[in-house]
Amino acid sequence: MTRRRMIRSGVTAVAAVSGTAAALRPMLTTGQQRANVAPDGAGADGAPQAPLAPGAVPALFDEVYRGRRIQGFPDAGAEGVAIKVDGKPLQVMRRVDGSWISVANHYQPYTTPLATARAAVDVIGRAELSMTTEHHH
Amino acid sequence: MYTRVNQRNLTSSQRARFVKAVIALKRSGSYDKYVRLHAEYFAADGESGLRMAHMAPTFFPWHRQFLLVFERELQTIDPQVTLPYWDWTTDNQPTSALWAADFMGGNGRDSDGQVMTGPFAYQAGAWPITYGVTDEKYLTRNLGRPDRPIVLPTEAELSDALEIATYDTDPWNSAPDTEGFRNEIEGWTVSESMGGYLHNRVHQWVGGHMVGAASPNDPIFWLHHAFIDLIWVRWQRLHPKSAYLPAQPLAADDPEHGRVVSLNEPMPPFAVKPSAVLDHRQFYTYEEG
Repeated sequence: MTRRRMIRSGVTAVAAVSGTAAALRPMLTTGQQRANVAPDGAGADGAPQAPLAPGAVPALFDEVYRGRRIQGFPDAGAEGVAIKVDGKPLQVMRRVDGSWISVANHYQPYTTPLATARAAVDVIGRAELSMTTEHHH
Repeated sequence: MYTRVNQRNLTSSQRARFVKAVIALKRSGSYDKYVRLHAEYFAADGESGLRMAHMAPTFFPWHRQFLLVFERELQTIDPQVTLPYWDWTTDNQPTSALWAADFMGGNGRDSDGQVMTGPFAYQAGAWPITYGVTDEKYLTRNLGRPDRPIVLPTEAELSDALEIATYDTDPWNSAPDTEGFRNEIEGWTVSESMGGYLHNRVHQWVGGHMVGAASPNDPIFWLHHAFIDLIWVRWQRLHPKSAYLPAQPLAADDPEHGRVVSLNEPMPPFAVKPSAVLDHRQFYTYEEG
């Protein structure tokens, strides 16, 4: 049991949800924005990005997908990757074949962190992630 | 001893009593502990540590015990209530009476997936989501996943899986080459486009809360898993000489040592061994058909 993942608590703040109707279904958005960061470090708009702070980990990906900013970072934990949706952590787990499942897709694995993040957005729509987990590393 | 029946055979009175008991459990605050428990015991096989509820041989006995505890708590509210099961090979359409407004309620609406009909609709006032992947307070569904349509498993697919005589095999995980009845039913062995295989695909087909870590937020969870439990019963009947595996604790030099529960080791958080729940007839029977 020592390092078993425990997803815990994450009781949602029962604070008033914003007026934005959260969409659990894939939204019928017109034109999915994808703002990949260019290899030279320039942002999607071509503007140079601020240099990384000392110790900061460069993103594996950083894009806007269906109106949500999704980011992936290398991570020293068992999952090997940390994913964020609009700055909030998307908890993921690693499968033995190298694929990932996330709290948003517990019954469907994806082969890349980017696909895992996009698929989570497909499921949660515009809703905010709320579940927190205890890291075991 | 009591009987679990196919949900399609419930009388309207039985439907109403089941719904009423589930809602009473929700109102008391007890329901949500099952949602948390299910999320907490979902450990994946690419990481270290004990696997209990999924990607492990304890998939069947752990969920049997999980359902038993839930069912017993429902029975403290109404002793007549038992868990019905949903045979998704038969009642396989969004139009099935299962999803009527006097039982599970219907599909989620297009805009936000919110279930708008039935006793579990947010507006009915009895079913706020308090522990979820997102901060939405309403139950969601997306039956059939229309943007990338999938269908519920067929009778033939289920029969094929039931043919597998070996319960589970080393390395006892979700890898495509981990053959055996348990991994086949759990459903990790088929590609993304099909939405997984038997058990997993049903979660995918319902959509909304059922695809995430907090899947028991949708009461259909219990009806789905009661059928998974019945599938285990049918497999035992078909293969009377086959047994739960691994029978013995794994050796210290086995890479899966400490990660998989064998026949006579307890299944956290329950102080119950797989061997104690292998025979469902000590608790309940199934009325099939």
